[in-house]
Order: sequence, then C-alpha cells, then structure tokens
Amino acid sequence: MEEMSWADWARENTDPRKAHLKPEALEDVVVLDLSYGSFAGLYASSLLAEYGAKVIRIEPPEGDIARKMTPFGIKHKDTGLAYIVEGRNKYHITLDITKEKGRELLKKLVKKADVLIETYPPGYMDELGIGYRQLRKINPKLIYCAIHSFGHFGPKAKTKMRDYDVIDQAMGGIVWTTGIPEDYEGYPEHTRVPTKLGNWMGWYVGGGFAAFGIMVALFWRRKSGKGQFIDVAPPEAMAKVTNYYIQYYHYRRKVISRVANFDPAVFVYTLARAKDGMVFMAGFSDINFYALTQIIGRPDLREKYPTIKERLTPENWPVCLAEIEKWSRERTVKEIIDAFMAYTGEGTAVAGEVLKPIETFKEENFWDRGIFQEIEDPEYGKLVIQSVVAKMEKTPGRIKWVCRKVGADNDYIYKEFLGLNKSDLEELKKEGVI
Amino acid sequence: MEKDIESLPYTEFIRELMNPEEIFEKPEPLKGIRVLDVGTLIFGPMVATYLAEFGAEVIHVEMPGRGDTMRPLTPFADFHKGVLAAGFEATNNSKYHVAIDMRTPEGKELIYRLVRKCDVLVENYRPGTLDRWGLGYRQLSKINPRLVYISMSGFGQWGPWTMRPSYDAVAQATSGLIEITGFPDAIPLKAGAWIGDYYGALMGAFAVMVALYWREKTGEGQYIDHPQAENLIRNMDWTWLYIYLTGKNRERTGNRDVAIVPSDIVKVKDGFVAVAAFSEDEFMGLCEAMGRMDLFEKYASVEERLKEENQKVIYEALHSWAKDKTVNEIIEKAEKFGFSAAKVMSSKDQYEDEHWRARKSIWIHEDPIFGELAEVSPVPKLSESPGRIKWAARPNGIDNEHVFIRLLGLTKEELEELYKKGVIGKWDENVPWSCPPKDWDGKSGLFYP
Repeated sequence: MEEMSWADWARENTDPRKAHLKPEALEDVVVLDLSYGSFAGLYASSLLAEYGAKVIRIEPPEGDIARKMTPFGIKHKDTGLAYIVEGRNKYHITLDITKEKGRELLKKLVKKADVLIETYPPGYMDELGIGYRQLRKINPKLIYCAIHSFGHFGPKAKTKMRDYDVIDQAMGGIVWTTGIPEDYEGYPEHTRVPTKLGNWMGWYVGGGFAAFGIMVALFWRRKSGKGQFIDVAPPEAMAKVTNYYIQYYHYRRKVISRVANFDPAVFVYTLARAKDGMVFMAGFSDINFYALTQIIGRPDLREKYPTIKERLTPENWPVCLAEIEKWSRERTVKEIIDAFMAYTGEGTAVAGEVLKPIETFKEENFWDRGIFQEIEDPEYGKLVIQSVVAKMEKTPGRIKWVCRKVGADNDYIYKEFLGLNKSDLEELKKEGVI
Repeated sequence: MEKDIESLPYTEFIRELMNPEEIFEKPEPLKGIRVLDVGTLIFGPMVATYLAEFGAEVIHVEMPGRGDTMRPLTPFADFHKGVLAAGFEATNNSKYHVAIDMRTPEGKELIYRLVRKCDVLVENYRPGTLDRWGLGYRQLSKINPRLVYISMSGFGQWGPWTMRPSYDAVAQATSGLIEITGFPDAIPLKAGAWIGDYYGALMGAFAVMVALYWREKTGEGQYIDHPQAENLIRNMDWTWLYIYLTGKNRERTGNRDVAIVPSDIVKVKDGFVAVAAFSEDEFMGLCEAMGRMDLFEKYASVEERLKEENQKVIYEALHSWAKDKTVNEIIEKAEKFGFSAAKVMSSKDQYEDEHWRARKSIWIHEDPIFGELAEVSPVPKLSESPGRIKWAARPNGIDNEHVFIRLLGLTKEELEELYKKGVIGKWDENVPWSCPPKDWDGKSGLFYP
C-alpha cells in the first residue's frame, strides 16, 4: 500500500466515480426546504442533499419562483437552468401554507423533520402561525434555519423586502471593493463603478454558511438533544469572507476601496496582459518577488522595490506592472504559465490563466476530477452540471438525480410521511392545498 | 427568572432567543473537538477558525521565528501597533499558537503526540508534501483512526493540475469567475477580496462537520480532499448548464443580472444602490415608484422581462429614474412600494450600521495582548449554542508552554532542549509581525503559567 504514490492513493480513495459504493453521512437527516425565490436556501439544502440528507422541497402549488430565475428566460423542460442545478437529490412536493389545511400538513411534516430552511421576509412564517415560535413546540429538536438579508432581529429586520443576491452582495461589502476606480480614465465612465461578482455569490456564500450552521447544530443536538434557531444574514456572511476590511477600519479608520485588479495587501498579485489574453501572476514576499523577477529576467526590479513597503505603495503598482507587462505582452498565456511552472530556483512565483467559462468547461482537469459531471436524468435528459466539491474518503457526496418537476413527489412523500392515500391527495388537490 | 417572551412581536421574540449579551452564558457546540491547524496563509487556517468560533480548541502550528506567511499580510504594510497584520488578524482568532519545525524528527514526534489527542487536522501544503514528511493521512490515521484529516489545495490531491501552485486568484482565474465579473466593455475583474480562500475555507469547515457527524455515529475518521477552484466552479450557478445547452460562453454583464430582471446596481446622487424586483407584485411596486406603469403593462410577466431586448429597456428606465435620487429616497420607496433595495456598503458603513450593531455582527473586543480590536462576528447566529470570539490572533509560539507542558506532558527541561535545537521556538525580534506589541507587559493574555 505504502508503495503507492500519494496522488494515486488519493485518487483511489476519493474518486467521485466510486462514491455510490460508499455510505452517506447524513442519511438519517430529514430537511424541509421552504425556500422561496432564494438560491441561498436552495444551495444550503443542496449541500445537505449531496451528503445523503432526505431533503423535501416544499413549493407553493404554482412552484417556487426561483424556477423562473434563468438567463434570458431560457428554460429546459419548463424549468429554469439555475433551478435545475440546485434541484439535486431533492424530493419535490407542493403545499399551500397560506391555507389552514396546508399549515396543518406542514406541522405534521415538521414532527418528523430534523431541519427546516426558509427564506421569507422575517415574521412571515410567524404570522402564519408556523414560525419557530410555534414549530419548536411541536418539535423541540427542530433546527430552524432562517435566511434573509437583514436577519430575523435588529431594527431593520421588520422589513417586507425579499432577499436577493444583489442586495446581499451590496450590503456585504464585496461590491464596494470590486471594480475599476473612478479615476482610471482609460475605461468608459459607466464601468468605473463598484461592481458585483458575476455569479450569485451573495446567495451561495449565505447558503454555505447556513449549511455549516445546520451541521454545527446537528452535531450539538446529538449531544444535547436540543434543537435551535439559526439566523443567517447573507450580507454578514459576505462580510465574513471579505478579507480584513472591518478589522482594518477599526484600527485605522480607513476604508478599503476598489483597486481594479491590484490588491491593497499584496503586490505582485495582479492580472497582466499577455499576447492572447490575460494572466494572473503573484510574487509578493521578498523571496517570491525574487522568483518572479528571475522568471521575467528583471533583477533590476528588486532594487527598485526591495521590500514590501515599496511594493505596497499604490503609486508604484501601475509603474511596476507596466515593466512586468513588457515581458508578458510579448508572450502567450501558455508560454507564461510554462515559464512560471519551469522555474526551479528559490521562492515560488505563481501564474494562472484567466479562462472564459467556456474554456474552463473544456479543461480536462475539471472533467477528470469530476466537478463537471454528465448525468442522464429520467426527467430532464442528458445534462452536465457542477458536482460535489469536497472529495471525502468514506462518505463522499454524490448526485443521485438532477431535479424534479413541481409536485412530482407528492404521492411518495405524503404517503411515506403522513400515510395519505391517493384519494386524500385528490381531495387536497381539489381544495388547492397541494 | 423566565421572561415572558411568547407574546413579543416577532423580531423582538427572536432577539430574546438570540440575545447577543448572553452569548457567553450559552454552551459551545464544538467544545471537546480539538483541531490541529498546520496550515499557512488563509485557505487552511481559516477552516480551523470557523471551527474555533464555535468552540473547537484549535492549535495553530507555525514555523519558529517568522511564523505563518500570513503574518505580514496587511494593506499598505500598515500594522496595528506596528506588529499585527489586519489579514492575519482576520484569519486567526481564538486559537493557541505554537511554533514547531515539522521537518525535524523531534518536530514530527511532537506532531504525532498532538495527533493522538486531536480530532481534526487541517493542512494546505502542496499536495503530497506532508505525506513525504511522514505527516500524511496514511501515516497519521494509523496513529489515530478517528482523525478527520482535511487537505485544502488549489486543484485537489490528484489529477492533471494537482501540482500547480495556487492562490485564491488562480482559482478565481481558472474557474472563470474573473471573466464573468465586470462590464462587457471594460476588463475582467478579480473579486475585491480573497473570496476563494475565505469562502472556500468555510466549505472545508462544512465538510469537516459532515465527517464529524459521521464519526459520531461510527467512530471512523476519514480523509477529505478540498479543492479551491472547484468550489468556485460549484458556485457559478447556471453557467455550466447554460454552456452545455447553448454552446455559448457566459459573458460578463456588469451589475445587471440577466436571469433576474430587474436586479442591478444604480448610481444615485450620493452613492450606489442595489435594486431588485423579480416577481409581479415587486415589479409593479417598482414601476409605480418610478411612475412608469407603462413598463408594467408592457412587460407583465417574468418571462417578458427576461427577454434580452426587454431587459435593456427596463434597466435603462431604472437608471434614468434613479440618478437624481438619494440612497435613502430609493430605500424608502422600496419599503413603501414593495421591492428590494440596499445601499452599496463600505466597511465604514458596515462598522457603523446600527442594525448590525444591534445584532452584534461587528464584534468589538478587548484583547489582552493587542488591545481593542474588531472582527466580523461568527456567522451564522445560533440561538442555543452560539459562536463567539474569545481572543485575537497571537504572537508566534506564545502558547508553546501551555500546549506542550499541559497537553503533552513535556517537562520544562525537555522544552529547553527543543528550544535550543530550534525544533520549537517563539517570535523573532527582527520580524515585527511575529512579535507581541511594544506596549505588551509580558504577562497579559498568557495562558501559562
């Protein structure tokens, strides 16, 4: 065994293609996901579903509006693309919680659930009589996770506003620090503004923290027997992952603002132009700056910028970058990466190609690793979606199915959990409850 | 005395449950979990920080002397009290700091002894490095089969790119995130934060929790390979399915969302405001606020509004309406007419925000070594077993005695020997960011004796 190289051992033991041969860590966990119009909630339940939790999506009879959030309105078999991606491994039922009968059914489901996720404006569920205040009495072991931009307490929590990614990013600080500064006059005026990240990062980060909190609460529940309320405000989650800006503001009373593709705390750590695209390159600490200047054949830059003091002086950034670009603009992206990879001297300088998503999608590495996975789904056909990130040795995550239509699992779930028969369901359907 | 909280209005009821003033009176959910954090920079150590905030006992191992490469990471080389980097502060709190040269035989022995008493090990060396040093999962799981061992790396422990050195921005670049951020008529943009690191580490902490949950049931530890670039790929919503189905690239579209219309950031008189109104009632509210009910009639359904040509009309109307308003006017209108809006907030806005203060989302604390500091509070907020920040990042090696004597049972003489050989060490007076501040009294904040 020990003869095996590390990489071979790691592949052998964490290859996602073998995931289905291994057990699932969360198979004893039942999650009710009542998210509405929020990919923060959907992502949180996706993470739990990937590791085996039985996630029941509860949508209103007309379906979650998140099914309609899709680029240019493109749908695949009646469902928006983003929703298909986060439908993985989830059972889909419908329930009208604005109706008394719907709420009764929800309460019955809650008795058998471990986790509930919701993303409505704070107090909406409470007003309906199915908030944490009421549900904890029905099931004291319930972990109730509420996700909303303003959280569920504090002066601004009494809002009717809904949670959107752009709101979460804006309040989270990442928009303030991303983008081209106003005075970079080489770019059109409307582009020199605070800029959001292209993906729904506010929602994803919020959902990630929700899933983490749920796991912490589940772990603690095994010891204490207690459920609890989890309050996740995605903007606060964004602030948590937005470097040291709060720390710095506190001790220096200075705001970090956008610096395009530079970085206030590390230089060289920037994008540079190549002959045929852009590359990222880094060589910050003295020893790594040494490596970078060796690679580009410019030892003179070490004399000009000998310590991090000089390298962290903003006025020096464009000047030094221009010198670096004298080298990089003469070379293709591939030549630059190769040159960095071939360096064997002291220190480590790093380069990375700025790929267009369509190029990333073709990159062999990501297919080999299984992060892109082609799946034949009985309802949605052959698709490629992004798969599970962490490769776990004993309880790997996996995708079992991609998505389900609105209410597709009504029969199964209502039968399994509440013992309802076809005729009961017909009745509920007539009353518009499901 | 039990307060009657049942009859309170909702948000006040929740406030009572969460009560930020009572956090230290409540139990810590991860108490009893010990984490050995041998990582450096952010991607490894931050995994341990998220666990520390919820009560895990984290031992952060650094090289004697200079310590963690993260120690000098601070904007404009501007340190708190001349020694504490904002970046290092943000990446390490509530940990014990020891300094061991793990490449020496005696250093390894110390790690083995620690591993016997730990539940989790976090590392982010180049793949295979620790295995080569005899500190890989294959070796350590024999010493402690209950160990959860997580390796954080740019591209994972195997595969064509496994040996590529990586930083946050390499992951951002190769995942395509940079290419989709920014305006089509300008340049691709790096995120204004090391989000691949700080957020990637969170997902590492999530995976550790999944493994610990499994271990509670079975007693088994396990190995986790956590790749940074793949985490960003995972979070790029509809990008990949769109490319697969249409064969087209996902282009960057500035602040405009093309899947949620409208959802944008508008320039107003005194700042920038995010605005979103997807559903029918929200869009109607926005049109009413803008005095543009014609738009609502013309683009009555979500589907109509998502059409490329219609998006343009709606977004232009939004910008031209907003430009002579103030931030507060837009937010007031949003509450009144029923759509969503929020200010683009700076760190100052967040720091001073009365709502965040009432939620104790900014954690201002008096550190015994570094004085008053502020952190972003643990996210998420748990009502029964909340997270907390106990102390700030600490000088290199300051907890050697606490850990090696109390936890491992080494004698003072053995310690002296290890110091002499350079196997363990403390800060280096010539490297300011490894040191305590000049005004430190040499005693405050020491856990030993």
